[in-house]
Amino acid sequence: MGTPVGLGNTREAKETVRDAEGAPPPRGRGRRRAPFLSAGARRTLMPWALLAPALAVVGALLLFPLARVVWLSFRDFHLRNLVSGESDPVGFDNYAALLGDPYLWRVALPNTVVFAAVAVVSTVVLGTLVALLLSTLRPLTRVVVVSCVMVAWAMPAVSGTYVWIWIFDVDDGVVAQALTSLGVLGPEGYNWFADRLSFYAIVTLNVVHSGFPFVAVTVLAGLMTVPRDLHEAALIDGAGAWKRFWHVTFPVLRPVFAVVTVLSTIWDFKVFAQIYLMPGGDVGGSRMLNLGVWAYVRSFGHNDYGAGSAVAVLLTLLLLGITVLYLRALFREDELR
Amino acid sequence: MARRRAHTHVHLPAAAMALALVGTACGMGTGGSVSDDLVVWIMEGTNPDETAYFDAANAAFTEQTGVGVDVEFVPWSDAQNKISTAIAGGTVPDVVELGTTFVPEFADSGALHDLSGYVDDPYVYTQSLLRMGRIDDRIYGVPWYAAIRSIVYRTDIFEEHDQEVPENWAELRETAIALSEAEEDMIAFPIPGDAQYSVMPWIWGGGAELAVQTSDGTWVSEIDSDGGRAGMSFFTGLALEDGVSTTGAVNWNEIDVMESLAEERAIMAISGSANPKAILESNPDLEGRLGVFVIPGREDGYTDSFAGGSLLSVFEGTGQEEVAWEYVDHLTSYQFSSRWAEETGFFPGREEAVTAFAESEDPLVRPFAVQLITASRGTPVAPAWGRVEAEKVIVAMQQSILNGDATVDEATATAAAEIERILNGG
Repeated sequence: MGTPVGLGNTREAKETVRDAEGAPPPRGRGRRRAPFLSAGARRTLMPWALLAPALAVVGALLLFPLARVVWLSFRDFHLRNLVSGESDPVGFDNYAALLGDPYLWRVALPNTVVFAAVAVVSTVVLGTLVALLLSTLRPLTRVVVVSCVMVAWAMPAVSGTYVWIWIFDVDDGVVAQALTSLGVLGPEGYNWFADRLSFYAIVTLNVVHSGFPFVAVTVLAGLMTVPRDLHEAALIDGAGAWKRFWHVTFPVLRPVFAVVTVLSTIWDFKVFAQIYLMPGGDVGGSRMLNLGVWAYVRSFGHNDYGAGSAVAVLLTLLLLGITVLYLRALFREDELR
Repeated sequence: MARRRAHTHVHLPAAAMALALVGTACGMGTGGSVSDDLVVWIMEGTNPDETAYFDAANAAFTEQTGVGVDVEFVPWSDAQNKISTAIAGGTVPDVVELGTTFVPEFADSGALHDLSGYVDDPYVYTQSLLRMGRIDDRIYGVPWYAAIRSIVYRTDIFEEHDQEVPENWAELRETAIALSEAEEDMIAFPIPGDAQYSVMPWIWGGGAELAVQTSDGTWVSEIDSDGGRAGMSFFTGLALEDGVSTTGAVNWNEIDVMESLAEERAIMAISGSANPKAILESNPDLEGRLGVFVIPGREDGYTDSFAGGSLLSVFEGTGQEEVAWEYVDHLTSYQFSSRWAEETGFFPGREEAVTAFAESEDPLVRPFAVQLITASRGTPVAPAWGRVEAEKVIVAMQQSILNGDATVDEATATAAAEIERILNGG
């Protein structure tokens, strides 16, 4: 999220600087003392000087750890190296081992990608539906409903995950009890956490539940900006609800959908607690791990920080690719304007 | 190196007990340690309230040495990560309690201070525990307490249905089936999926080792031998064929098992020696209705159970190693290790003190002591064993069988291959 905002600021900052510096410097002063830097150099350096504080913060908090992870991923780094502080470079060995590991292709990557795809689509669709519902409500009712929705958003991931685990508890969970009393489930019960599909179905419920409020609120904000006369014109032309959404609302809100989709994608790729805390979500060889949990297990379970970092770098590259798509989507919108 | 690996012994503490037992207070000062106070990390376990013990021990220490002590409690489940990140960040404590299975790995990494120069007589400690802290002639941790698991059961329900304490596996099975039929709403004998130390006894009881080192130094796992498979078939068969457990137990760890006893849902269960006190603390109604028996042998005698425990270690490079050792010596003294054992239900890390417990008449203590002294075993002494546990290889095996994803033959073969890969540096 920081990137686009940062870029926007850069562009604005540049323009501001250009305006200020573009005017010829006041002659009198310039003659008396030669400028420390030429106008050209100042024009080049000024934006960087102004950006320096922000860059320093970003560099310290974001770039340094990132660079450190990339560096680690090219090293043979175990617990012993953590103590001694010395380590040997191993080139691309960690990556070769990672890419040659069938677990990546059969388990971690499919889990990550398929789960993220399903979760993002569900989150955006549900969030949009809720936003559409909210937009038709009267202000007072809307405040009440939005507050309720916010509760789901405000719930910390760890507590939320435990609630879902209890809901699906094999022996005493409400779901098991309801299904048993309906006669769908035998008294021996069913272990939802043992099956990859039902395991991820629960994770999806959990993640969608905590993710849709953001989409709903953002889309609702967008809906408020759709000119009423567009809808009225469409209505007069005989367009139904679906056509009005698809041909009027959606095109206007395209940038909003681009934002929520890409942000949700980034979040859902990185899901950690919601999987790690589930029964079986922390078992090394299980079929339930995604890339994030796998990176953690490799780093801290195996004390093999190099291999864990390689997984993390892979995940970062995947996300970078998605961020690029996001930026391109935004810039396309800019060009349209 | 090879010599050390050839030893096979005792380990992990009431370990995987991510025993964040509800109510375990942590009222002592944490963080922001003042000046030269000694920082001590103690694991949070099943044991009841620890505050009074440390108040007394620390006051005595401060009086003797003039050095303040700042005890911080760390849940077992976070321990390994917290220590690793502390090493990376240079914020290690002076003294740390380490589960026996952790010690070889941290000692091997060079993070721990060699204590052999301070220890006068290594034979005062429980030798099987001390072995985990020894590498060649160096000592990286001295025993504080030992933990052992046996079977805790409900004496009132056994009496009600005329059941005797089983003396071999067949009787254990018959008892469990009879109880399961007699008490439909209760779980006769939960077979947990996420509790590796409850699984190990059956592999050992079947006649197999988790892993043995051959003469050329490579490790071979016997889990997939006939004996290991017989043990696994018996244990998982209790759940799958005899139905004496419950489907949900697949996801249970040792805390869940303990809670099932405390909530009067389970009739008998594999439990650590510190559990009965914690159970009675959370459910005083069970007073006088709990008993303990040693895990019976396959044909007769006893089945070996996992003996773990904790060592106290001193971190290297804190500049306070000497006074840190004094604190370790203080806590592992006869007085304070015995008091800890009495208050928690663990066993002291000193030979002479354990012997006293074996003569105890307390029915909640004596069987555990018998199990510890006559029928206990540890995990393989290899620095990489910690990784087998961190990767939950045995949990994965147990769960895949209980979930019906793999047969005993398949699951044991997978687990044996994984253990060999990890221990042989794969």
